[in-house]
Amino acid sequence: MSGPARRWFEEIEVGETYESPGRTVTEADIVIFAGLSGDYNILHTDAEYMKSSIFGERIAHGLLGLAIQSGLFTRTGVPYATLGVGTLRWKFKGPIKIGDTIRVRARVTAKKETDARDRGLVTVERQVLNQRDEVVQEGETDLLVERRPAG
Amino acid sequence: MVGPVRFYFEDVVLHGVLDTPAMTITETHVGLYAGLSQDVPPEPGLVPELLPLCLTPGLGWRVNQPPLAVMAFMGFEWEVLHPVRVGDTIHSRSRTAVKRSMREGGVIVEERQVINQRGEVVQKGRFTFLVAKRPS
Repeated sequence: MSGPARRWFEEIEVGETYESPGRTVTEADIVIFAGLSGDYNILHTDAEYMKSSIFGERIAHGLLGLAIQSGLFTRTGVPYATLGVGTLRWKFKGPIKIGDTIRVRARVTAKKETDARDRGLVTVERQVLNQRDEVVQEGETDLLVERRPAG
Repeated sequence: MVGPVRFYFEDVVLHGVLDTPAMTITETHVGLYAGLSQDVPPEPGLVPELLPLCLTPGLGWRVNQPPLAVMAFMGFEWEVLHPVRVGDTIHSRSRTAVKRSMREGGVIVEERQVINQRGEVVQKGRFTFLVAKRPS
């Protein structure tokens, strides 16, 4: 039985670039994320207070943007045979507001062997862009990707 | 009129350690998170790696201290050390590592760990926040 197509460590090349489809971030996303995470910071939940802030309105949780880009990344093409995320280095550069449409642009910057023979480490540099092509988040993730099974 | 109580830059204790209450991660958490983000676990029974990270700020809201007056979440570094499984009970421990005053507010760097029911540190990293100063 063969499962859905996945790309092994060996098949991924340094320098590959990807761009994801867009996703519009809605008020519902923010409300659900606040409920799920328990992070009710006024930045995300108090529309009246935020009118007088530098943002002028509620903004999405930074970590909601991170979670959404993680899902978008899996829609950039044939997904990696990912075993997990190793490390992340991440910067929040600007707000994601209700109605903004974000997408991910990503590039493979490094591949590394690991002690475990069934997997390798793939470093992916990512930018989260809004509909005006402004970078709202950016960072690097090291992903553990399965090697092609022997035989 | 009394406004909401907030924890300002001046209130933050350098090297202060805070332990949050714990929470059991359920299929419901994973399902809601996956529906919201399309970020799914690598295999059934595991929790997507970013979910415990996403839950740490909310756990922080449950300590007996007013919420930090965060003006902006500037960034973080994070390391996934061990898998978290559905049914695991996690809490978060944080320590203020850096406190730097700026003209507008101040920068706080927090070392944060996610710890499971066996006391194992499963994820850890550093969060950087811009925090408001107490209004004069």
